[in-house]
Amino acid sequence: MSSTGSAGVVEAPRGGHAGGGSTPSPARRRRHTTSAGPLPYVLVAPVIIFIAGLAFVPAVFTIVQSFFTVNALDPPTRFSGLSNFRNLLESDAIRSSAANTALYVVVGVTLSTVLGVAMAILLQRPFRGRSLVIAVLILPWALPGVVEGILWSGIFDPNAGLVTSVLGDLGLGGGQVLLGPNRVLTIVLIELVQVWQITPLSVLLVLAALQLIPDELYEAAQIDGCSRWGAIRQITLPLARPGIAVCMVQALVATLNVFDQPYVLNGAAATGATVTMQTYFVSFQNLDFGQGYALSLLITVVTLVGSLLIVKAVYRKVEL
Amino acid sequence: MPAGRVVGLVLAVLWSVVPIYWAVKTSLQTEADARSTDTQYVPLRPTLANYARLLTDDGDVPAQIRRSTLNIVVECGLATIVTVVLATLAAYAFARFRFRGRNVFFYAVLATMAFPPYTTLIPLYRIMSLFGLVNTYAGIVLVYVSGFLPLATWVLHNYFASIPQGIEEAGLIDGAGRLQVLRHLLLPLAVPGIISTALITFLFAWGQFLFPLVLSSDLSTQPLTVVIAALQGRHVVPSTLLNAAGVLAIIVPAALALVFNRYIVNGLLAGSAK
Repeated sequence: MSSTGSAGVVEAPRGGHAGGGSTPSPARRRRHTTSAGPLPYVLVAPVIIFIAGLAFVPAVFTIVQSFFTVNALDPPTRFSGLSNFRNLLESDAIRSSAANTALYVVVGVTLSTVLGVAMAILLQRPFRGRSLVIAVLILPWALPGVVEGILWSGIFDPNAGLVTSVLGDLGLGGGQVLLGPNRVLTIVLIELVQVWQITPLSVLLVLAALQLIPDELYEAAQIDGCSRWGAIRQITLPLARPGIAVCMVQALVATLNVFDQPYVLNGAAATGATVTMQTYFVSFQNLDFGQGYALSLLITVVTLVGSLLIVKAVYRKVEL
Repeated sequence: MPAGRVVGLVLAVLWSVVPIYWAVKTSLQTEADARSTDTQYVPLRPTLANYARLLTDDGDVPAQIRRSTLNIVVECGLATIVTVVLATLAAYAFARFRFRGRNVFFYAVLATMAFPPYTTLIPLYRIMSLFGLVNTYAGIVLVYVSGFLPLATWVLHNYFASIPQGIEEAGLIDGAGRLQVLRHLLLPLAVPGIISTALITFLFAWGQFLFPLVLSSDLSTQPLTVVIAALQGRHVVPSTLLNAAGVLAIIVPAALALVFNRYIVNGLLAGSAK
């Protein structure tokens, strides 16, 4: 039936591996998905090899080696139980970066979600030029985080930056050093740059959910005398919950792992350092890989647990 | 359109373009004008000198920018081609064949999307150094491909799954082989999905920083992002030149995003509908 000499469009019995002359059983016949001998295995093999070798093996490495001392300056590699984790929890630098990261996450997830929902609502109804506006709004998503740091350092520059110039021209002072002196301000401003990058995806995710809401609901609400704000609160937001949940999860993953923007805008300064930056410093400057593994593992666990909590709290199956 | 909505849309557009505008503006100024506290909101004496310097000057910084631009193009191009080819083959198999272990393989590939991006940073570095692939194009491309395959496979799987099966059956009945059916019947229909996947993969690769920071140790493989960050750290590089380099680094992704935004939007939405 097919020139590859396989079982063709008739499905082989369950587990009919490699088209080895197995008799097709009528009860299990399927017209659409077919068993075709070794071909599917050949097709998926490269992807499976990549994923096994460069995703699962490294992940197992991270888990196992976080219980070992793996330190280029302190060989050999040896089992050391929980000592990596103990050292991390006792380190002031790590604890301060964990507090910083928590602030990045709260600011980033909140802002990108609020902005994402607001922009999606602005785009909900078609208008002339909407696709052009969407194209422009996506731009920040497409740019490298490092370069965004460069772009925004021009905005925050204390001498001739946009913020300082506008404040100065409005007679509100200006000329302040924005990044560095004040920890909270530094983190909020750096996170603003990441929000700039991740919000476009939030907009798209929420907008996709909004497109599924039928117009009749809004028409009915209007007839019932419901205001525009009322319609947003009682129709739009509840029905957008699946989209909002996905958008919050992507923001959580991005902000918990924030690296490029603080690295470029604030360098190695402790004021805004994040846990991912600490992972990099611990592993590639102190060469204490064991501790780096332990920190990566902690970040991973927090990311997965946080994502699950968001899904549980925000996601609702919506039937339309 | 109500006035409130117009204002909101204008603000949203300004929010998206002002930082880009500011960098372009700075890159078109002399250093003296750009640093002047008497801020020019538009360049009053625009100059292309910074770009001319980046593209033709023999100095250290322009040479680094040019070499790292070549590197980023090679790395992103190779990573995109390999990712799209491998993901297409696997996605076709996952969407159109029944075989033992299909679901296990499929979900295993998808599950790696749940890993935070840097979970595997250190082990990947150690694996690459074990095989002597640190500071090689191959090492960087392998890591990129492994990172982007899951999303690419998922997006393409969804595209293949959305193509009606009757088309292939006609081909199979005509005696064409499975791979011929893929090549002549299915691939032409999947072109939009393939373009989406290629664009998203390329843009992700172009934005990489921490992985190449760790995996490449000198200018022979460092992509533009790594070199720009290093120049920013050295405060001797003029801000106008740095901004010109930044603009060079965003021209390609910005142009792709503007021209192909429909494909990118569709791909992103197909990829996130988990």
